[in-house]
Amino acid sequence: MQKLYTQLIFKLLLSVIFIHTSNLDLSAQDSTEAVTEDETVYTTISGFVTGEKDIVLRGANLVIAGTIDGATTDEKGYYEFETDKTGPQLMLVTFLDYAKKSVQLDIVAGNKMTVDVQMRKEEVRTEEILVTASSFTSGNNAAVTLTPLEIVRIPGADADIYRAITTFPGSNQVNEGSRITVRGGNPDEVLTILDLASLYHPFLFDETFNVSSYSTINPWGLRGINFTSGGFSAKYGNVLSAVLDLKSYDMPQGTGMFAWLGLANASLDGVYVSKKKDFGATFSLGKLFLQPYFAVNGEHSDYSPIPESNQFGGTLAYKLGSTGNIKFIANYSDDKVGIFNASPSYAGFYNGSSKSAFSNLKVMVAPTSTTLLNAGASFSYYEKYDNFGVLNTTSKSYYSKGRADYTIQVSSKVDINTGAEYEYDGYDINGIVPVYQYNLKPGAQSYNLDQYYSTGRIGAYAETQLRLSKRFFVIPGFRFDNHTLSKETSFDPRFSFGYQVAKYSSVRGALGVYHQYPDMQNYFNTANNDLLPEQAIHYILGYEFNKDGNYIARIEGYYKDYSDLVLINRDAIYYRSEGEGFAKGVDVFLKAKIANKFTGWISYAYSNSKRKQYSATSLVPSNYDITNNLSVVGSYNLTDFLVFGATYKISTGKPYTPVIGADYVKWQEVYQPIYGETNSARFPTYDRLDMNLQYIFALFGKFAVAVASVNNILNQKNAYTYTYNTDYTQQSPVISNNQRSLYLGLGLQF
Amino acid sequence: MKNKITTVIMFIITICMLNVSVYASADFDKAMKKAKKNLTTAMYKYDASLLMKSRGEFERILQLKEKTWLVNYYIALADYNLATTSMLSENKSDLQKYTESGIAVINKSIDEYPEFADAYVLLEALNFNRWQFEQEKMQEILAATSSADESASKLDKNNPRLLMLNGMASFYTPEAFGGGIDKAMPKFQSSIDAFKTRKEIDELYPEWGNDLAVGYMIMCLVQRNDDGDMDKAKTLMDEALVAYPDSGFISGYVMKEYKKESDSK
Repeated sequence: MQKLYTQLIFKLLLSVIFIHTSNLDLSAQDSTEAVTEDETVYTTISGFVTGEKDIVLRGANLVIAGTIDGATTDEKGYYEFETDKTGPQLMLVTFLDYAKKSVQLDIVAGNKMTVDVQMRKEEVRTEEILVTASSFTSGNNAAVTLTPLEIVRIPGADADIYRAITTFPGSNQVNEGSRITVRGGNPDEVLTILDLASLYHPFLFDETFNVSSYSTINPWGLRGINFTSGGFSAKYGNVLSAVLDLKSYDMPQGTGMFAWLGLANASLDGVYVSKKKDFGATFSLGKLFLQPYFAVNGEHSDYSPIPESNQFGGTLAYKLGSTGNIKFIANYSDDKVGIFNASPSYAGFYNGSSKSAFSNLKVMVAPTSTTLLNAGASFSYYEKYDNFGVLNTTSKSYYSKGRADYTIQVSSKVDINTGAEYEYDGYDINGIVPVYQYNLKPGAQSYNLDQYYSTGRIGAYAETQLRLSKRFFVIPGFRFDNHTLSKETSFDPRFSFGYQVAKYSSVRGALGVYHQYPDMQNYFNTANNDLLPEQAIHYILGYEFNKDGNYIARIEGYYKDYSDLVLINRDAIYYRSEGEGFAKGVDVFLKAKIANKFTGWISYAYSNSKRKQYSATSLVPSNYDITNNLSVVGSYNLTDFLVFGATYKISTGKPYTPVIGADYVKWQEVYQPIYGETNSARFPTYDRLDMNLQYIFALFGKFAVAVASVNNILNQKNAYTYTYNTDYTQQSPVISNNQRSLYLGLGLQF
Repeated sequence: MKNKITTVIMFIITICMLNVSVYASADFDKAMKKAKKNLTTAMYKYDASLLMKSRGEFERILQLKEKTWLVNYYIALADYNLATTSMLSENKSDLQKYTESGIAVINKSIDEYPEFADAYVLLEALNFNRWQFEQEKMQEILAATSSADESASKLDKNNPRLLMLNGMASFYTPEAFGGGIDKAMPKFQSSIDAFKTRKEIDELYPEWGNDLAVGYMIMCLVQRNDDGDMDKAKTLMDEALVAYPDSGFISGYVMKEYKKESDSK
C-alpha cells in the first residue's frame, strides 16, 4: 500500500514538473513577438472616444480588464488594438478628469469590432455651483474671487482681510479701519466666524477716536474665506447683514519661520508640522511701534502716548485618525493710545486702551465616509478703557460659545446640514459718565455707572443642499434662536438657489428672514428687557460669469426690509422695538486675471438705505448709506520678482447729523447743541489712491520680500468727523489721520 | 502517511502558484521594459503624442496589479513630461492639468511604497511646475518641495536625478535668490559623476536624466563663457551627441544655445 502511494506521489510530481515546464515554455513563447499567428486568433477593436459635445479626446486610455491589451487614442480620438481574448469582456476607458467608463464587450474571435465611446466629465461635487448669492470666496476652490496672495497685495489694504473685502461691492470701511459695514447696515451687523467661533473684537484700536483699526487675523493662516453680504445660510444666526466665515488650516502647511520688520511694526511667525503630519503648531508675535513711521511721515495729530500694540498667539493641532482633527487656537492682543481732540466743551487728550483674548478648541471627525461632525468651544474676553474729560469708563465683554455642526451626505445629490449652538454674552461697564453728553469738561455733572448684563442665546438650524440637476441646486433651511434675557424666540426660514446657465454662467438668488438681538447696551434702557430681535428680510437676485476665477463679471440686485429696529421712544424714554427701514441697491463686480501677469477688479455699488432707528423720527438715510461706491484695484507683475499695485476708491460721503444751533446753559457754562434732522447732511465725497511695490529676492540665501507702499498718494484730506467751536457757530472737519504716508517693510522666510 | 500526502499536495499547490506568478511576472516585466523604452523615446523627443501613448501603456500595465507603485511612478513621470512639453507648445493649459494629475499619481505611488527616493524627486519636480500657475500658493509650494527634497535626500542622497534637480533649481534661480550657474555647475557635475557609477538594483527602475545633466552642464559653460568654457562645452557636446543620439534636449535645445553663443564670437 505504501509503495502504491509512493508511486502515485512520484507520478503527481512528474506531472506537475511537466506542466510547469511546458507552461514556462508557453509563457516564453507568449512573451516573444513571434507568437504563432496561425495558432492565436486576434480580434481587432477600434473606434473613437469623444467627450461632451463630441469633442475629440486625445490621450484617452482603453484596456481590456485584467489584461494589458488596449490602446491610447490619437489626436483624432481614434484607437485600435488587437486582443486574443474572447467572449464577454470588460473594456475600461479612462481620461484624466473624466469619469472612468466600463464598456461590456462580447468578443467573437477573429471579428473586427467598432466601439465608439462617449465620456462625461467626472461629476465633481463642485463648490462653485454651491456658492450662494452675494458670496465672495477664497481658498483652493477654482471659483474663488480672492486668493490670500491677492489680499496681501491689495494696495491700501495693508494685508488686512477686512480692508481687502471693502474692495468688493456692497461693503465699506468704517473710518478707514478694519470695521466694515455692508449694504448700508451698521458695523455690528457683520459677524466674523473663525473655525465655528464668533469673533467680536478681532481688531486693534477698535472704535478708538481717529485711529484706524487693524485686524488681528493673518490671511496666510486661512484655508478658506467666505464673505457673504446677504442671503446667507441658516447655519449663521444672530446676524442681520453679512457674514465673514473663516476657516484656518487644519494642520500647518510646512515648517519654518517668517520675520517681518516694517516702518511701523515687527512680527515673527513660526510654523511646525511633524514628519508624519499628525501634529502641528504655530506661534505668532507682533508689535506696533510708530516712532519711525511718524519720523518719516510726520504726525497729523498730537499723541500722548503714540499708538502702540502687542499681539501674540498660537495654535496646536493634532490629527485624529485618517480624517479627524483637533485644533486649539489662542490669541492675545492689547493696544494703547492718547490723541488730542478739541470738542466744543473740552479740548484734551482722549486716552484709550484695550485688551483682547480669544481661545477656541475645535474637533472635526468623520464618523463615516458620508458624515462629518464639527464641534467647537470658544471663549473670548475684551476689555476697553476710555477717558476723555469727565468720561472715564472701563467695559468688559465676555463671550463663550459651544457649537456643533453635523453634515450627512444622503446621496450624491442631497446633503443635510444641521447644528446647534449656545452662546453666553456678558457685558460689564463701570466708571464715570457725563450726565449731559454735550458737557465733557472735567468736573462736569456725572454719575457713577456700574452695570452688568448677561444673556444666553441658544440656536439650532437645519438645511439641505439639493442638487436637483447637474446645473441646479436649492438650499432650503430654517433656524430657531432663543434669547434668555429678552425671552424672545425667533424663527428664520431661508432659501437660496443657483442655476448654471452655461459652463461659466450662473444665476443665483436668495430669500430669507434674518434676526439679530440688539446690542447688550440697549437693554440698559428698557423696562423689562423687552426688545425684540431686529429683523431683516433679504431678497437677492444676481447673475455671474466666472471662468475659473480668472474672469468674473457679476451683477446683483437686492432689497432688504427691516423691522423691529431699536428706536428711542421719546415719550416713554425707554427703547422700543418700533423702528423700521429698507435697503436696496445694485452691486457690480468685474475681475480679470491674466496669466501670472495682471490681476485687477472693479467694484461698483449703488445703495439706498433708509432707517427709522434710534433717535430718528422718520425714515432717514442710515448711518452708512453710501449711495455710490467705486473701487478699482490692479496688480501687475513688472518682472517675475517685482509687483506693482494700485487701488483707487471713491464714494459718496456718509451721512451725519448736523448741529443747527445751540443754547447756552448758564449753570453748566457750556452750549447745548441743537441737532438737525438725523443724518440729514453728508460728508464730502471720499476718495483715496494707494500704490505699492513688492520685490521678492534672496537675503542670506533665504526667501525675502520687500514692500514699499504709499497710501493716499494724492493726500486727500478726508474727513473723519466734524467738530464745532464752543458755541457751535463754526463747524470744522476733523481730518482723518490717513494722509499721504510711506511704509517700508521687509520679510524674511527661514 | 496522511501527513506525507498533505505535504505533497501543498508542494504541488506551491509549484502551481509559483508557476502562475512566474507567468504573470514575465508578462509584467516584458510590458514594463517595452513601456519604459517607449517612454524614454517619447521623453527624448518631447513628443506629446508619444508621451500620451506611453502613459497609456503604463496605465494598462496597472491591470496586471504588480508593483503598482512603480507603474504609477512612470505614469507620473509621463505626466511630468507632458506638463513640461506643454510649456514648449502654445497650449499651456495642459501644464496645470498634467502637473496636478502627476502629483496625485505620484502621491499614490508614495503611499504604497514610501521608500523609493525617485518618487520624491519626481514629486519635487512636479511641485516646481506649480510656480507657473499658482504663485499665490507660494508657502505651500515651498513646503512641498522642501519636504520632498528632504525625503529623497534621506533615502538616496547620491541619486543622480535628485542632484540634477537641485542643479536645475539653482540654474533657474537668479543669483539674487541664492541660485545661479556657479551654484548649479557643481551640482550638475555631481549628478554626471553619480550617473557614471549608478547601477540600479532593478532594471525596471528609472534611468532617465543623464542627457539632461550633461546638457545643463553644457548650458552652464556656454552661459558662463569664461576662458576655456566653450572648448569644454564642445567636448561635452560631442560626447553627448554620441552617447545620447536621440536626445532632443541635446541635439535641439542645447545645441541651439551652444551655436548661438559660438556664432556670436
